[in-house]
Amino acid sequence: MTSKKQSLPRFAVLQLSGCAGCEVSLLNANEWVEKYQLVYMPLVVSSHTVPEDTEILLVSGGVRNDEDIYNLRRAVKIVDRVIAVGTCAISGGVANLGDRDEVREMFMAQANRHHLPHLLPKSRPIDAFVDVDLYLPGCPPTPELFMAALTGPENFQASSIVCQECGRKKLKDMRPKHLLGFQQGEVLPDICLINQGYLCVGSSTRGGCRAICTRPGHPCVGCRGPSDAYIEKESSVWFDRIQQVFERLTDIPPQEIYDALHSPQLSLFLFQFTDYMGNGGPSRPKEKVL
Amino acid sequence: MTTLRFPLSRIEGHARVEMEVEDGKVVSAQFQAIEMRGFRYFMQGTPAEQMPVIVTRICGVCSTAHHVASVKTLEDIFEVEPPELAKEIRELLLLGQLIQNQATSLFIFTMPDRVGASSIFHMDESEADPEQQLSLAQRALKVRQIGTKLITLAGGQFIHPIKAIIGGVTSGIKKEDAANMLSEVKEMLPIACTLFDEYWEMSLAMKERIGTWGDDQPAFYIASTERTRPKLNSDTIRVLGPDGTERASFPPHLIREYLEYEETEYSYAGQSSYQGQVLRANSLARINLAVSMGTPYADDYLDKLTSTFGKPAHPILLFDLCRGIELVYAFERAIEILSNDLAYEDTSVPYTPKDGEGYGLVEAPRGPLVHHYTVKDGLIEDAEFIIPTVHNMLAIERALLVAGDRYVSPSGINLELEKAVGRVVRAFDPCIACATQ
Repeated sequence: MTSKKQSLPRFAVLQLSGCAGCEVSLLNANEWVEKYQLVYMPLVVSSHTVPEDTEILLVSGGVRNDEDIYNLRRAVKIVDRVIAVGTCAISGGVANLGDRDEVREMFMAQANRHHLPHLLPKSRPIDAFVDVDLYLPGCPPTPELFMAALTGPENFQASSIVCQECGRKKLKDMRPKHLLGFQQGEVLPDICLINQGYLCVGSSTRGGCRAICTRPGHPCVGCRGPSDAYIEKESSVWFDRIQQVFERLTDIPPQEIYDALHSPQLSLFLFQFTDYMGNGGPSRPKEKVL
Repeated sequence: MTTLRFPLSRIEGHARVEMEVEDGKVVSAQFQAIEMRGFRYFMQGTPAEQMPVIVTRICGVCSTAHHVASVKTLEDIFEVEPPELAKEIRELLLLGQLIQNQATSLFIFTMPDRVGASSIFHMDESEADPEQQLSLAQRALKVRQIGTKLITLAGGQFIHPIKAIIGGVTSGIKKEDAANMLSEVKEMLPIACTLFDEYWEMSLAMKERIGTWGDDQPAFYIASTERTRPKLNSDTIRVLGPDGTERASFPPHLIREYLEYEETEYSYAGQSSYQGQVLRANSLARINLAVSMGTPYADDYLDKLTSTFGKPAHPILLFDLCRGIELVYAFERAIEILSNDLAYEDTSVPYTPKDGEGYGLVEAPRGPLVHHYTVKDGLIEDAEFIIPTVHNMLAIERALLVAGDRYVSPSGINLELEKAVGRVVRAFDPCIACATQ
């Protein structure tokens, strides 16, 4: 058993500043246990560095402090392949909601501790520091997506957008006049959530999650990020596209849609657009996004 | 003076322990949380109604507790009372989290200490029979998965639930789905019990080997469950004295008045105390409070624990055994709830958003979790997250000192100290992502 196990490909999981939801999802994907050897993942394994001969490195969490930078740079030197896992590693994540002058100043003034890893003014994506071979968006990615990222995306079949995986019917004659609150109201089965007045962005969000939120009735918040059609463009193109979908299916005033799209719950995931990073860096090529 | 620094693993998040040793004696022990994202700061300005879905991102391990606490906080502000069915589905959601969390802590975090392996995925490398160890790991992961499945069923998403809404839950649970889940939980209950029996034996063997159950000095305890049937969704926090008598009971909005809270320069997490004394939250606090669990198997285990260790019990490695009792209870209670009709339509009541201040309490696996928001013009003006791990900080440091005394002497430092530090911290199952946010 031990000898067989030692010949399996070796992977490591580096957790930067995040919520561990990605790790919990990976633990739910039991299939890798037979196919891979997990050599480093402090959440579940007592080992304190990424060992030599590690092939794959999954990185979750954003770069929030100087120790994150150090750990990230040190780990990527060892491995052959780097996979950025989840919203935080790809965009800096939820902490970007604080990327406002007044919040940043308060945070830096009150939060930092001298003898501990020093906090950075902004939570950064990992590709601001190192090269990434594959991006695996999702908050968190499903166990199925983790397996696809590990075993090779070329064998993974998914629709381009969440809408196609959802299966709810779009109706022409059910046109709401206003948005319902994010959290309000009864949900009719089998009918498109947009027809019911929910702000669902599944029409432009990357598929592959199997529509786990929209099928039971919660609007897609876009955690998988922009689909291939938008990933290499600026976020404004994506906003326009969602507006068009709502104009086609509803009578909701455009300004109402605009405001809702720019609210924190959704912008949380829009940080995955390069223009939100504010450093003018190149966009993520769609070939590298699973 | 020598400083010993211990990195930590098999806990949630980034933390380390620093001990100062002088003349062969440990003179201080610090438990340092070394990460922070800053939710307290960046939640300001968020539309209040979006909180229940954003705060789950505080922690992927405790997301369910944050989700429900957030909804309860907004219900407090908007003055709305959810229907009974919604409360039942929320309880099921919290039970799913309790199963997932206690199984993770027992089998993934602490079982490797008992068999001498580096992780549950390396169990066959321990000294025991590899076949037996592998079977143990496989069964443990299956038991844990019941928790994940319950969260998905009752919460709508498997890590960051979405189904609890202000005024209720988005939908009931279809008869067929409830029936399928019920039969799975029933099938796994005896397996969970057997695993816990094995874990109990392993714990006894470990105690024989290391010669201690850890820090057993008296402490105060804090929990929001009840004396009979641990209620995960209550509105009252209780403090027990070291002798087991109730010293205080209060609603969540008074928590800051009853507990002292302090920030330190050496950690991104604060620490709290009760009248300046060491306080403990988590499984041992709830079990010390409980007279009865209200379900047959869990009550048998409770009797076994009480007759063996007395009540209230103080040794810290009993936190782990208490998690096992709660794991079994959560299975049994989930069976009761899933046997009820959860399919009917009355899942939520309408509400009108209002400005104001409110509190929401749930008993998370690590203890009472309180959210506290002030809403102005529909936006969050201030959000405070009062985290159960923070109540355990002083208790962790005291237990580290006890371990330090045991393994450090003028003649040298026993190499067992590093393992002891890991065992001490894991007994409290701290969550650093939550404690620092």
